[in-house]
Amino acid sequence: MAEPLHLIEAGTRPTGRPFAVRFFWPVLGGGLLAIPLLIGVHIAVGSADIGIADTFRALFGSPASDAHDTIVNNLRLPRALVAVLAGAMLGMAGALLQSITRNPLAEPGLLGVTGGAVLAITAYIVLIPDASYRDAGADSGLPIPLVGMVGGLLAGATVYALSRSRTGGVDPMRLILIGVLVASVVSSFASLLLVRSGDYDTRRLIQWTVGSTGGRVWAHFHTIWPIALVTLPLSILAIGWANVLQLGDDVARGLGLRVERTRLTLLVLAAALTAGAVSVVGAIGFIGLIGPHAARLSTGSNLRRQFPLSMVFTALLLLVADIVARTATIGWVAAYFDDDAGFTASLPVGATTALLGAPFFLYLLLRRKTIL
Amino acid sequence: MTTILDAEATEEAEKTPRVTAARPRRVVTLGIILVLVVALVSILAVMIGQTAISAGEVIDILLTGGDDRVKNVVVTEVRLPRMLVGLLAGAALGVSGVMLQDALGNPLAEPALLGVSAGGALAVAAIVVFAVPIPAGTLPFFALIGGLVAGAIIIGATRLTSDPIRMILIGAALGAFFSALITTVIVLADPDNLRRLTRFLIGSIIGRDWRHVRIMLPWIAVGLPVGMVFGRTLNLLQLGDELAEGLGLNVVRARTAIFVVAIALNAAVISVCGPVGFVALVAPHLARGLLATTDSRQVLPIAALLGAALVVGADLLAREVLRPAELPVGVFTTLVGAPMALYVLRRIRVGQTVG
Repeated sequence: MAEPLHLIEAGTRPTGRPFAVRFFWPVLGGGLLAIPLLIGVHIAVGSADIGIADTFRALFGSPASDAHDTIVNNLRLPRALVAVLAGAMLGMAGALLQSITRNPLAEPGLLGVTGGAVLAITAYIVLIPDASYRDAGADSGLPIPLVGMVGGLLAGATVYALSRSRTGGVDPMRLILIGVLVASVVSSFASLLLVRSGDYDTRRLIQWTVGSTGGRVWAHFHTIWPIALVTLPLSILAIGWANVLQLGDDVARGLGLRVERTRLTLLVLAAALTAGAVSVVGAIGFIGLIGPHAARLSTGSNLRRQFPLSMVFTALLLLVADIVARTATIGWVAAYFDDDAGFTASLPVGATTALLGAPFFLYLLLRRKTIL
Repeated sequence: MTTILDAEATEEAEKTPRVTAARPRRVVTLGIILVLVVALVSILAVMIGQTAISAGEVIDILLTGGDDRVKNVVVTEVRLPRMLVGLLAGAALGVSGVMLQDALGNPLAEPALLGVSAGGALAVAAIVVFAVPIPAGTLPFFALIGGLVAGAIIIGATRLTSDPIRMILIGAALGAFFSALITTVIVLADPDNLRRLTRFLIGSIIGRDWRHVRIMLPWIAVGLPVGMVFGRTLNLLQLGDELAEGLGLNVVRARTAIFVVAIALNAAVISVCGPVGFVALVAPHLARGLLATTDSRQVLPIAALLGAALVVGADLLAREVLRPAELPVGVFTTLVGAPMALYVLRRIRVGQTVG
């Protein structure tokens, strides 16, 4: 466990170089190009079927009808953009954590931040009587993300405080484990609140506990982009540190890095990224695990390549998952058992990411060299 | 492990697990004390509530039916079955925890942290929500299948790593996956009744009646004795895979058998109460601390008694502390159990392979 994973040994380098090490820029460029394309698809599909042509007309200022304008520009575009940003943030958070802990199983949810944000939002919706109605309107949304940010960062700080050793250092693996435990305490509180909530609240709460991009509008986008604008560039700047830290504490110290301080900085970044994303889209699982992992599989261990790719891959993943969530209906399952089962609910994207992510996770497990 | 509070000493003990048996007298004494504790907690659980009923009346009602019809119903139809469900669930969880921990050599192994509980809960949720016609009383069987899917993945992972922390990370991922599936099932099938979700995410014995006792009883009546039989095998597994193999144990087969029994015990609990967190973690560690040994043959029965006392006691507190509101017992056990898990964690030397 102590060795960094995937260090390319000098001797194997020419033959063993992965595809994307040689083609890093094309892969990154292709990924970046795919994002606007997928945003287009994301907008074009849905319950009200708007063709690609009409979608573009609406996007670029000459909608075929007012309804198209509203649907495309006020409902679907912000949702897609929120998904892209949230995906990029979760991907970056996952990449940071996987490099800090030197463990490919780490994911943003394990910091406790996700659970804390969800608990705070749950408490806000359930305990503050008016909250659900104030926030139900399509144009609101600011209080909930704020509450989520505060809750998430508080929980993250708790996890950090609990995992400090006597000497003041933090062992990353202990941190993750304490994160798991804190998350389970926090989620049992959230379940408790769920028990006490009314039906209407419950439906909204599920969106946060599982993670959903449904109903995210410009207000949400305007909440998330400033956070992204601060945290993502900072994370890119921190790649150099993370690269050194990845060599192991002793080597990093030998190279003149202040290990504990650097690790704390990176953790704070990861926590801020996670809290920012979760407080807008809820606890979307697995993509923060899979995106960075896919990036690593294709680039190897140099974080200068891995971090940007993680961001792009995860944003793409979340977009695809959201497209799937919006189009897929598993109606036949219910119809098979009960003809009257009305099909009003759409799948939260968090459920899709888990469904898509689990097989990938199993695949990683089976490739023992990569993961264990 | 001399005392449970002596962290330095236990760190030493962790490196070389001491499978020296405690003196039989100590086990018997402790057993008797715990039986009394369980009896006391159980009687209290029947006595205390909206209508307080004295111990004498309880005994009267149980023996002769009593004079007061209302009190009779309260005792025999409400509190007694609920208390019995708690006892059965606690004992099953205690034993299941010992088996998982010793079989994996992982002091943090616990059905909930391994994702096994969520696997079982998913199966139960799917059956209940889609109203799948299954024969009455076979729900634990399906919970077992769901739990075994998760268990199979964990067993597969033991071939790759014995690092307890990685195991827990795998478990956390499995748990997250199954929970997401549970939510999916409920959101898709029953959007008008999302509150049912909590039933499958958090354990509770509120409102459990004789029907539930009957569902659980056969599983636990068979599972507990079978679990006790594995004491020797568990002791061998504690020595580490190589040594156990050298002593003639088929490690993979033994571990698989133990998993099936442990998950079956857990499945009975899941199908009636839902995932009651951390009892399966706390009870075994308390038992080892009290006995000052890791000898599974002795730890198993003590952990069963402790688990029973814990669940019934926690349920009593959970329903009395915030009266008239009732907390699900799972919330309470998580709140008590997680700090305990943190304590256990302090003793593991992180990054080191244990077991």
